Amino acid sequence: MFKNYLLTAYKVLMRRKLFTFINLLCIVLTLVVLMVVTALLETSFFPDGAEAKSSRFLQVVVLRSESPKGNAVRHTPLGFKLIDKYLRPMQSIESLSAFTTTNGVSVYQDGRVSELRMRRTDAQYWKILEFTVLEGRLPTLEDEQLGRNVAVINKTTARKLFGAGPAVGRTISPGGQALQVIGVVDDVDELHANAFSEIWAPVTTFPSTDYRRQMAGDFQVILLARSKADLRQVREEVKMIAASVEFDDPKAWSRAVFWADGKLDAFARQTIGDAHTEDSGATLLMTIIVVMMLLFMLLPALNLVNLNTGRILERASEIGVRKAFGATSSQLVAQLVIENVLLCLAGGVVGLLCTNVALMWLESLELIPYLNVSVNYAVMAWGLLITLVFGLLSGVLPAWKMSRLDPVHALKGAI
Amino acid sequence: MIKLDKVSKTYQTDKVETLAVKDIDLHIQKGEFVCMMGPSGCGKSTLLNLIGLLDRPGAGLVHVDGVPVKTYRDKQVAHLRNSTFGFIFQSFHLINDLRVIDNVELPLLYRNLSGSERHAMARDALEKVGLGARMEHYPNQLSGGQQQRVAIARAIVGRPQILLADEPTGNLDSKMGGEIMDILLRLNAEGTTIVMVSHDEREAKRCGRIVRVFDGQLVA
Repeated sequence: MFKNYLLTAYKVLMRRKLFTFINLLCIVLTLVVLMVVTALLETSFFPDGAEAKSSRFLQVVVLRSESPKGNAVRHTPLGFKLIDKYLRPMQSIESLSAFTTTNGVSVYQDGRVSELRMRRTDAQYWKILEFTVLEGRLPTLEDEQLGRNVAVINKTTARKLFGAGPAVGRTISPGGQALQVIGVVDDVDELHANAFSEIWAPVTTFPSTDYRRQMAGDFQVILLARSKADLRQVREEVKMIAASVEFDDPKAWSRAVFWADGKLDAFARQTIGDAHTEDSGATLLMTIIVVMMLLFMLLPALNLVNLNTGRILERASEIGVRKAFGATSSQLVAQLVIENVLLCLAGGVVGLLCTNVALMWLESLELIPYLNVSVNYAVMAWGLLITLVFGLLSGVLPAWKMSRLDPVHALKGAI
Repeated sequence: MIKLDKVSKTYQTDKVETLAVKDIDLHIQKGEFVCMMGPSGCGKSTLLNLIGLLDRPGAGLVHVDGVPVKTYRDKQVAHLRNSTFGFIFQSFHLINDLRVIDNVELPLLYRNLSGSERHAMARDALEKVGLGARMEHYPNQLSGGQQQRVAIARAIVGRPQILLADEPTGNLDSKMGGEIMDILLRLNAEGTTIVMVSHDEREAKRCGRIVRVFDGQLVA
């Protein structure tokens, strides 16, 4: 019987090719958008690769400084002094890394100028994040302590600056400062916000040591917990530390507020949340995303219900014949739903192919530097699940309605 | 075999109520070939639909093999339609997307039969109506008479006890109509009970019993 269902479904779908095409297009477009968004969100908030340990690290990104009278507030990255004095001695963490945000630098090489992104990091950075070393080595604590003018560059920058030849041992001059390349790492896209850069140099390569005396500066930190279970404790400790911070100029700034956030929390805090409350706004953000996704799915699903009702109504006579020859309502529902599920699965397969094409296109656009995102099996499974939900949502209602018809009315086509 | 006991059926639209059949008592014995005759709109097809359980009476009882169908649930009624009745419609009602053999197999889909069993039974039924060579064709590749023979094959493939034919020759010329009647008579001779609706007196005379319907009631 199942074979007959499939055969009938195939024939029915091929009977009205334009109709089937519109249905498929509806499913494919929705799936592609959903899956591309999911893939980008997953890469941003639950990354693998260089930030594979993100499930057990928290970030402190923004320092909110408040004046004693509360009439002045500033939001800045953290200063190195604040990190060194208050966060580095933390008890609840395995390790801490301080690093700057990426800044644009001009690099002059062989008579050409390249605009590149650069960040300065401590040695711990290379232990917490997991880069793929393609050539040379990564900076060590010794490089940092001795203030060696060394740098690591990514693969694309190496090719851009030095062509196919070796990059290690060569010198680059970001912003006019000569740094010797000691290593080349694989490209990391900008969605990996902590790992992304094109040039990395030790913090001690700063031309001046002023950064060491700043409470507010250009730094952020990663706090690596010993286990996921310790994250709550790390958060609590950071909260207590923030309450104890004393500024160098207490008349100007008397209260510091900062939070240890996961990647999603950090993003939510910077977009819809705020820096002065513990709630990052991540729950609200996820709710908004889920509701938008559901709405995005619901509208085409309702449209499909409408289209499918029309398509099924056209087949009243066939349904009448099947009922006359002994089909039960549940058998008819099964048949009609199988047709829809088949259509949706076809849409799912085409959608998956189109998603891959869309992601490749997104990568080629270079709107997000070094974007390297692909549909993984989890996202693929979700895509297929979503497709099946589509099939059921858009098939069950009209199928149930039709299956309830008296055969005599169905045979006359009188709905 | 089939007994209608004071059966009535009313169709209701928004404003109009139409009494299609009223207080019908009818008893059809096993092996009979009954022809129901009457003017258009007199209630013949409604009566046939009530006998075949395609419609439910507003009042009265339909008994099949002594059991009142009113007590049956939808699933039981579907099973009864599948096992006891075969239907032949004036406009054939074949599924044009399916091959002739698949159309004929359709009633068997709702039984617990293997694909090869279904195929063999459908092939036998088609050979019985002289269309063994047309199994792979689609309905729209056949003439009207051939399509009606496919419909007969579909109706008899499950070896039903009763064949219900609603003007089976109504859309055919007299030669093709005659061929269809020959097939029905042969099936009846083999033991199948047949209830047929017709306007044609010549066809009716070939049947064993004529039931005349007028204004929703049986007349002598």
